[in-house]
Amino acid sequence: MSDFDAIDSLLASVGPEAALPAPEQRLRLREAARLSKAQVARALGVSPSTVTGWETGRDPSGEVRTRYAYLLEGLRERLESEPEPEPVVEPETSSVDEVDDAGDDVEFLGSPEPCVLCGRPARQRVAGFAQHLDPAECDAEAPAAAPARTEKVVEAPAAPAPAAPARTEKAADARPQPAAARPSGAPSAKPSTRRAFQPPRPEPTDLVTHAVRGALAEHHGDIEAATAALVKRAIPDAMRLLDESRKGARYDIIAHPWIPDVLRKQTAKGADQIWEARPKWTRRELPPGEHEVTALDINGAYLSALKTHLPLGQLEHSTGFAHDRRRAGVHLITPPVWEHEDVLPNPIGNRDEPGPLWVTEPTLRLLQRLSGPKYGLCEPPEIHESFTSGATENLLEKFRIALKDARDAAIADGDEVTLEYVKAMYSKFVSTMGESNYNRELYRPDWMHIIRSQAFANLWMKAYKAHDEGLAVVRAMGTDELHVIGDWRGVFAEGRGVTEVKVKDTYTAGAVGTED
Amino acid sequence: MPEQNLEFGKYGARGIKGSEAVSRVLDSLAGGIATPVTVRRGLMARLHYLTRTPHAWAAAREAGLTVTDRTVKAWLEGRRGPSRANLERIDTAYWTVRRHNVARHLLRRLNSAGGTRVELHPLNQSQVPRPRQRVVEYRALNVRRWDRIVEAWAAADAEALDGAWTDVIEDLGSQWGQYEYVTNVGFAA
Repeated sequence: MSDFDAIDSLLASVGPEAALPAPEQRLRLREAARLSKAQVARALGVSPSTVTGWETGRDPSGEVRTRYAYLLEGLRERLESEPEPEPVVEPETSSVDEVDDAGDDVEFLGSPEPCVLCGRPARQRVAGFAQHLDPAECDAEAPAAAPARTEKVVEAPAAPAPAAPARTEKAADARPQPAAARPSGAPSAKPSTRRAFQPPRPEPTDLVTHAVRGALAEHHGDIEAATAALVKRAIPDAMRLLDESRKGARYDIIAHPWIPDVLRKQTAKGADQIWEARPKWTRRELPPGEHEVTALDINGAYLSALKTHLPLGQLEHSTGFAHDRRRAGVHLITPPVWEHEDVLPNPIGNRDEPGPLWVTEPTLRLLQRLSGPKYGLCEPPEIHESFTSGATENLLEKFRIALKDARDAAIADGDEVTLEYVKAMYSKFVSTMGESNYNRELYRPDWMHIIRSQAFANLWMKAYKAHDEGLAVVRAMGTDELHVIGDWRGVFAEGRGVTEVKVKDTYTAGAVGTED
Repeated sequence: MPEQNLEFGKYGARGIKGSEAVSRVLDSLAGGIATPVTVRRGLMARLHYLTRTPHAWAAAREAGLTVTDRTVKAWLEGRRGPSRANLERIDTAYWTVRRHNVARHLLRRLNSAGGTRVELHPLNQSQVPRPRQRVVEYRALNVRRWDRIVEAWAAADAEALDGAWTDVIEDLGSQWGQYEYVTNVGFAA
């Protein structure tokens, strides 16, 4: 029997896909209903970014498409019907228990349909289900008062509901209430309660503004002295901001885990064995002719790189080819052969030694991505061993957002002190989070390498984007330097935000076959 | 102490005593000569450290390096090399003096700003049969007073260090015995 059920449900799912309005229509409907993306996403069981995707052109499929269509249809009906009842207050509506009906959309049917609760004809539909509004009407052996009321309803088919007292009395019954028939996925617009007389919770960004204001006051408005003082205390301040941003968070920051030998420095001033894949690439030969080369600078590369898959706890050893996408760490891989050296930098940077090397998560993921069907630029990398731990991309997200907001505000206000301070905070945070004596609160060399590699991988993807859009990439250097030939303004936005690029230099190259 | 483990590792749990892990971390924080004493460079560095001042030399003698000044002179000039037993004594004396010298500074750092936060990474249960595995979480606690711990560590007194460390982890609550053995203890000064 259950086999047939499964087949039935499969057949049901094969049916025609639910029709959806155009993407801009979806956005308009949601905004007109004053629903947030998060609310919609929660109701549909997807992430808010998925809802963003649907509203900018992507289409959902499967069961979630049906539910999304249902939601949009409901919103459209409600919005179309709403303007009419608002100005004209119907006398019947006033008798309705408002609390009960606030969340229900009651429709009135011209021809009666069987009630979902008792099966007898009903003239109302709540959230798509035909039912009697009063449980008394479902009951065949109704109390003496019920028939009279039913007659009244029949008299005036448009009357939405009988008086409230009857309902509250019946609420004690085990009989299902109409609200119970509502599908659980339907959104309920419940206003969030906020406690009164609470001090405002300090936002992480406030720490930055307070620090800047305090430093300026201390140095009597001397901008240079205040900046120097702020830059000096950037590391402890960044750690404080990190603590602040992790309040109420799901994961602890583990600051001193056991570190495998590959992440340990061989000597006091030496390096460990991790290859960060820093790009240092210049095109071998330019296309013929003379070219105007633009040196672009990626804004806040390390700030953006804070969003990456960071291992949470102690790194555990594993061997073999399998890569678990929920974990992150460092991997010993044999990199694939790179055949596009003429036009694009090697994603593992310019490595002189052949053979296996230890790379971090972002480099590995970049290589895997490039070996996938979408890019098909190389073979997949071979993983030999790994030191990984369960990972999350959101560990430093609040920290990053706080710094980004402070940076954006500082740019908008032309506030150079805050700008320098924020820059010192994130760059020093990244460079001292390993085995540095300048920051003893955090010993995570793995994070340091991973964040740097993420910055390099981000630059590589920008180089690829430029190449893909028809620009000639001339040079990719360090974390934030990209030299291109061609109309780059069509590819990258110019500005000072973290998603934008700024021009560092323009020069002419290629006349005599040399560049730069 | 009912919480203490009697037969640690009977079912395959792996870890080291918390106090030993603490002593390792303190050693790494103290630093010192990395080259082993068996290499000439390491030997010379230790001898120079121990003979630089009369005070240091007295401390070395107290730490068990009971050789005549003439012998040490011969070692330093390279006319003679120490025997294997004496090499060991030199190494022990070096580390004892080193710890003693660093202790005061280290203690001040550990006690400053309301103590130091210590992370306890639980023992490794991967070799324990499934039914006997227990949920042991990562824990962290703040240790305000390090005096006894550092004193025991400087004196290389494992028993006193264990006692001092047990007093600290008792603050974890009724299940503190789960943290008597750990894979790692993390803190910095």
